[in-house]
Amino acid sequence: MAFDAIFEPIQIGTLTIRNRVVSTAHAEVYATDGGMTTERYVRYYAEKARGGCGLCICGGSSVVSIDSPQGWWSSVNLATDRIIPHFQNLADAVHRHGGKIMIQITHMGRRSRWDGFDWPTLLSPSGIREPVHRSTCKTIEEEEIWRIIGDFAQAARRAKEGGLDGVELSAVHQHLIDQFWSPRVNKREDQWGGSFENRMRFGMEVLKAVRAEVGDDFVVGMRICGDEFHPDGLSHDDMKQIAAYYDATGQVDFFGVIGSGCDTHNTLANVIPNMSYPPEPFLHLAAGIKAVVSVPVIHAQNIKDPNQAQRILEGGHVDLVGMTRAHIADPHLIAKIKMGQIDQIKQCVGANYCIDRQYQGLDVLCIQNAATSREYLGLPHIIEKSENPKRKVVVVGGGPGGMEAARVAAERGHDVTLFEVAEALGGQITIAAKAPNRDQIAGITRWYQLELARLNVDLRLGTRADEAALLDLRPDIVVLATGGQPFLSQRPEWGYSEESEESLVVSTWDILSGKVAPGKNVLIYDAICEFSGVSVADFLADKGAKVEIVTDDIKPGAAVGGTTFPTYYRSLYEKEVIMTSDLMLHKVYREGDGLVAVLENEYTGGLEERVVDQVVVENGVRPDEALYYALKEQSRNKGQLDLEALYAIQPQPCLGEERGEERGEERTEGGDGFLLFRLGDCTAPRNTHAAIYDALRLCKDF
Amino acid sequence: MLETLLPILIFSALALAALGASRRVRLWRQGRPSSVPILKGLAAMPRRYLVDLHHVVGRDKVMSNTHVATAGGFVAAAVLMILVHGLGLGSSESMGPILGGLLLAASAAMFVGSRFVARRRRNPPARLSRGPWMRLPRSLMAFSGGVFLATLPTLGLLPDDFGSGVLALMLAAVVVWGLGEMVFGMTWGGPMKHAFAGALHLAFHRRPERFSSKQGGRRSTGLKALDLDDETAPLGVGTPSDFTWNQLLGFDACVQCGRCEAVCPAFAAGQPLNPKKLIQDMVVGLSGGSDASYTGSPHPGKPVGEHYGTPYGPIVGLAGQALVDAETLWSCTTCRACVEECPMMIEHVDAIVDMRRHLTLERGQTPNKGAGVLDNLIATDNPGGFDPGSRLHWAADLNLPLMADVKQAEVLLWLGDGAFDMRNQRTLRALVKVLRVAEVEFAVLGTEERDSGDVARRLGDEATFQRLARRNIATLSKYRFQRIVTCDPHSFHVLGNEYGELAEPGIPAQYEVRHHSTFIAELYDAGRLAFAPWKGGRVTYHDPCYLGRYNGEYEAPRRVLKALGIELKEMERSGFRSRCCGGGGGAPITDIPGERRIPDMRMNDVKESGAGLVAVGCPQCTAMLEGVVDASAEVRDIAELVADALVEPPSVNATGSPREPVVKATAEEVL
Repeated sequence: MAFDAIFEPIQIGTLTIRNRVVSTAHAEVYATDGGMTTERYVRYYAEKARGGCGLCICGGSSVVSIDSPQGWWSSVNLATDRIIPHFQNLADAVHRHGGKIMIQITHMGRRSRWDGFDWPTLLSPSGIREPVHRSTCKTIEEEEIWRIIGDFAQAARRAKEGGLDGVELSAVHQHLIDQFWSPRVNKREDQWGGSFENRMRFGMEVLKAVRAEVGDDFVVGMRICGDEFHPDGLSHDDMKQIAAYYDATGQVDFFGVIGSGCDTHNTLANVIPNMSYPPEPFLHLAAGIKAVVSVPVIHAQNIKDPNQAQRILEGGHVDLVGMTRAHIADPHLIAKIKMGQIDQIKQCVGANYCIDRQYQGLDVLCIQNAATSREYLGLPHIIEKSENPKRKVVVVGGGPGGMEAARVAAERGHDVTLFEVAEALGGQITIAAKAPNRDQIAGITRWYQLELARLNVDLRLGTRADEAALLDLRPDIVVLATGGQPFLSQRPEWGYSEESEESLVVSTWDILSGKVAPGKNVLIYDAICEFSGVSVADFLADKGAKVEIVTDDIKPGAAVGGTTFPTYYRSLYEKEVIMTSDLMLHKVYREGDGLVAVLENEYTGGLEERVVDQVVVENGVRPDEALYYALKEQSRNKGQLDLEALYAIQPQPCLGEERGEERGEERTEGGDGFLLFRLGDCTAPRNTHAAIYDALRLCKDF
Repeated sequence: MLETLLPILIFSALALAALGASRRVRLWRQGRPSSVPILKGLAAMPRRYLVDLHHVVGRDKVMSNTHVATAGGFVAAAVLMILVHGLGLGSSESMGPILGGLLLAASAAMFVGSRFVARRRRNPPARLSRGPWMRLPRSLMAFSGGVFLATLPTLGLLPDDFGSGVLALMLAAVVVWGLGEMVFGMTWGGPMKHAFAGALHLAFHRRPERFSSKQGGRRSTGLKALDLDDETAPLGVGTPSDFTWNQLLGFDACVQCGRCEAVCPAFAAGQPLNPKKLIQDMVVGLSGGSDASYTGSPHPGKPVGEHYGTPYGPIVGLAGQALVDAETLWSCTTCRACVEECPMMIEHVDAIVDMRRHLTLERGQTPNKGAGVLDNLIATDNPGGFDPGSRLHWAADLNLPLMADVKQAEVLLWLGDGAFDMRNQRTLRALVKVLRVAEVEFAVLGTEERDSGDVARRLGDEATFQRLARRNIATLSKYRFQRIVTCDPHSFHVLGNEYGELAEPGIPAQYEVRHHSTFIAELYDAGRLAFAPWKGGRVTYHDPCYLGRYNGEYEAPRRVLKALGIELKEMERSGFRSRCCGGGGGAPITDIPGERRIPDMRMNDVKESGAGLVAVGCPQCTAMLEGVVDASAEVRDIAELVADALVEPPSVNATGSPREPVVKATAEEVL
């Protein structure tokens, strides 16, 4: 049987898990109600269970004590009995669908922020500052150690009383337990530091206290690191010793293993490997731990594909695979395997939009699945067929917004035509995928291609939709997702011209798409500081150019998320790309064969010049509005969206008006019966998620 | 002159016929012994002919009436002819006019019947054999016309001296022709052989239980067990003489009407099997010779005239060709459409499985994936070779009660090997959901369950079948339950119809088995299920062979679909005429190539019905029909449709006391 290794149930402690796939603990940032799990939280996990996920470990970094602040990441607060009824809702929702649910519990020690909420004094074994959160802390006292040990036990009790199936003690990501473990952070000379046994003591006391509190019929696991990747940190051999030490107690029901420590920006990027990493890069570390322990081992890091999961499990490297981002992208992953719809699985592309939002304290969302974590609003993962009359829907633009609009409208059962001026679908994704190690982002397009083919959407590629062609189709609804063009005309001094021969600057799109050949000595001016600038820098350097990337912002790539900018930096520094801040591109002029870029210091007003042979400017997107204004006056709704309905995930009222009308009635000349909507960058430049979200929430009611 | 000539001709013909009959009987008796109550059988024969056979023939009204006139006229005319012309009672003062008049009426009826036979022979459909059968209407007319005319002078309707001229000689010649075909030919071979062999076949049929009695008839579709402990018995049939004598007799009864050919899915798919030809091959084998004189459609792709055999020679050549090619035998899906349609009640499927047994047990020649599947069954007790311990993996989140724990339950839910198949697991989960909502007290055997043995048996591996069956019987004997419910018609058939023969003292093997559609219909009728109104499009229903033809359950699935609010669009071939999906009898495993695929043809039937969804009730049918590329219809098991439509049932039970709230500790979702 295909995927038999995935679907082999497994016993963890006293618990039977129906398959080998786990949604591992991550901060959802949904426990917004003072650390209580909300309806959003429950629906998010219920959806995974409904989709067949075997085990969900929720609540990454859920806190057990009040001096481990909950508010920054809206994590679950287990420091109070108030949580118990909330857990009961959560457990019921997951159990109803045959899933199991546990929660990660922790004290984060120094790994937090102190400058808000209760203004806590953070704690750590030796008071050493944590760089990623820029957090200072006090040296923990004996009394506090015992209080926190007791807090762990009480938190575990609350999880058990709430009906959850287990707890995972976080001893990973440099939380308090592994702050004690790691000699890099623990410099104590009392019974809590120094020797191996002493460094182990705090975690061991926590384990003993928790087990004593919950008894044997409740799962208690530990999540540990497989190697901190710091010369002065815990090595893989250290971690094997630690795992075996705790395993020998017989009180741990499972181990979750993650490669890499994460108390620097660079190591943090390893923890949630983005698309630049190979598949399962740290599996060997988990396999090493499995070799020394007697209980099941879970491993999650870049496992996204059912075949990959099957291969890992079949090989016996670990007992369960975490497919967490894979479930964020598609919570029905398991169901689709079982339904024989593997081609319909929306696969995680490793864009890390989810985790990069989380590190900013924003709710976890998926770049390509706008329904994820919006289940509570009624946004569907599975689009039901409409009971309304079949409509003719015409979508213009094959970028993410247009593809999603076409998909959703076709799932609703309508007759859909999609125009795309390029020869392939994808829009800006196609361009973004050209940069080194960014090719996997094209997976977003790949899924849509398969879905649009499956749904028999009439694709008109290489075709520019003009007003006549559109009206000729006698559409009921026109959705414009035409995107825009690089905004190089904002400052005339840059010397941009539509005639490429005359233009002094080129766009990142020109370079990445191959329209303009890379120069040898290139200045990139990046006013946006998102992916395009650093991508083009990496691309040009990769082609052998000498590259300087300049921004007037804090730093190039400053708006790229916390798990992604480090991999750019690794590549850019290695290729000797110069990164310069605080300079604005004042002017470009031609001098002989070369170009002179005049840069102005934001803070001094001083000018400096660079002599180069190519100037690339990244200044965002200017919306393409021409077709919209050509159609606007003819449309029934004058192109307007009802924002209250849109934000409330309700149908656009104009759809109802159209619905009430007699179908097949003679229309007046020019097809003036259509509704007009626009979404994505052709309205205002935003991002992939914004375009897809707008398309889903608008088109789900077509 | 005729008065002298006719008795001589009649008694000569009868004498020659008797000689032929004894020769024919000797040919049949080359077969192995089979104890048949001879007198009881002969006594039952008229009823079997008039009721059971005509039940089949009567499906074609014109042909039925034709046969009544022709055959009835002939039997009456023949008897009266012997009395009137043979024994000279025609000249008796008292009886002559009456008998003569009756003879005229009988031969006239036969003549009218033969005109209809002749009409059908004008542009005969492809399924009919040509050759001697083309002359049959003329022979019938010769006999009936000749007798009629020869009787006229006897009654004084023509002058007495009419019987002394050239005309009389010509008339005698016509009568000779008629007698030759109808009397001599009946036992020496020729189209009329079917009357003689057919009558005896009905009397000595190896499945007497197939026939109706005054108490009503029942189906007899289970294969008969090989006695593996009998060292003298061959393991299956390797030569024509390995068949029992009454099987050989049955083959000889074939009337070559080709109804089997017309309904055979393998034939339609261009696979090398024509059931009619196969029976004729056996007839060739029983007397020895080649198939060159066969005049019907061949096994597709197998030219006529290249095969030959003898009663004691191999049916399937050890090297090169013999009577039949092995792939002909492996093309059969055991769908029983041929048996269902055969007016002579011949048992094609029994014969095919008998010959497969020889190929598998004696020669180890189960083709393609067959041998591997049998190896899997031997090693793992399931055809896919899956880890036997993984039989319940699909239900890890359902907390199914195990018989080993509960010891007794109202319903034993038999899972079948579909438990290893991801598609069928959805059906099983749906069925579990239905049972839970209806609050049925049920349990499963879990890993104690083995493959039912269906595939092994139909691939000819009787030994593996019996081993699996005995093991299952032993397991079942440990527990108490009222009935077995299963969503697999193959398990249903084997458990219900084939295990019984293997019962041993103290270990009964008679079970009340229900197909899930039957059980769901009962639950619905009892008010334990309620459904939301149907919102989908057009639906048709595909009758699984092992549910319909094998077990006669055509109605319950339709009742369930009706309860769901579905108005069925029946396919042209439905009910007892349903076309096989191609999945039975191990056919997908032996996988004999044809020109088309059987499931493709079936999905085309679905398409022609205009339905966008085909409801099924069999894991094999689901797999076969879902395997069709670019199908126009969705395939759903009835259990899935029911599970999707479930709404809260009327809550108050019979006693009016509220039921215990159901603990929802198990997965609700159907995946």
